Amino acid sequence: MLPAGRFIGNEFAMDNAGRASREVMFLRLYPAAVLGLILFCAAKLDGADFRSGALIPPLKAPDFALKASSGSEFRLSRHRGKVVILSFGYTSCPDVCPMTLANLASLRSKLGADADRVQVAYVTVDPERDTAERLRAYTSFFDTTFLGLTGSADQLAAVRKAYGVSSQKEIVDKGTGFYLIHHSASIYFIDSAGTLRVIAPFGTPLDDLIHDARILLER
Amino acid sequence: MNMQLAAIASLAIALGACGPKPDIRVENAWARRAPMIEQKQQSGVNLETGNGAVYATILNNGHAADLLVAAASDAAGAVELHETYEMSGMMMMRSVPNFAVPPGGKLEMKPGGYHLMLLRLKRELKPGEKVGVSLTFEKAGTVSIDAVVK
Repeated sequence: MLPAGRFIGNEFAMDNAGRASREVMFLRLYPAAVLGLILFCAAKLDGADFRSGALIPPLKAPDFALKASSGSEFRLSRHRGKVVILSFGYTSCPDVCPMTLANLASLRSKLGADADRVQVAYVTVDPERDTAERLRAYTSFFDTTFLGLTGSADQLAAVRKAYGVSSQKEIVDKGTGFYLIHHSASIYFIDSAGTLRVIAPFGTPLDDLIHDARILLER
Repeated sequence: MNMQLAAIASLAIALGACGPKPDIRVENAWARRAPMIEQKQQSGVNLETGNGAVYATILNNGHAADLLVAAASDAAGAVELHETYEMSGMMMMRSVPNFAVPPGGKLEMKPGGYHLMLLRLKRELKPGEKVGVSLTFEKAGTVSIDAVVK
């Protein structure tokens, strides 16, 4: 880079004004272009080729331990070596959550043998109603390998906070006490090294989710 | 001339009495598969139940707007008209009194948007099965549809 700069510098000194201004422009833009290219390549290596929402820079996924629907404890950091796909919801949710889980079930079935290296974990935002047993019945309805996760209200609140998930309870039927829980519905992709790489907003097309899961499985 | 005008006027009045009508058609009705799971009731008794959602596209080829005002299904204790929307990063859901179907237009229900919420499911919704839903429109009356479970 430096020799080229000097060469242009010499030429600039000898040449006429019009040409000089072009050279000055080039001199000014050249470092910016190089910097841009470096950043572009770095971003590329960093996963700018993700389609669902790359987290740049990637972040060490906040660790947590919750009770899994399988009966055992789920500690995120024990799942290194697998791609962990994390989402939040509850079993009484009719529209948003089933769409997310149905998409993740399709994703696993599209990955073929690689699906063995993907663990879907579904964290409840409704510990009051969602027991481990209920979560097992619900998640296995979509895919028997899915794990539903629950815990105390405080434990779950800490996990939501770490992942920037908000939730809000609303009683919709005062008679029966039936309530809904509004919540953020992004999908979190954690790579095999335990790094949070992708946060896919609700409504991300299934093909994009599959595309990004494949990238993470290739690494 | 006057006779002709009168004839046209009376015809216009007659047509006016009939009024423009909506022409409702429902397409692509489907339901999301949904499990029955044990749920603690306020009485303390555990009951197997669940919630589900039905989606469809309602077309109105007529010349008047219509409103979907109610829905019912033998597969659920109640059916509500719901809308999912996003607010401060959260997916919110609310029940709405009606879905408007404009003349020459349509109302599209889809995941993450308008849907019919099936409350207190009476049976599991298994892929391949059908769920009967009756839709009540303000003008067009009742339209029965079969939603395919996917």
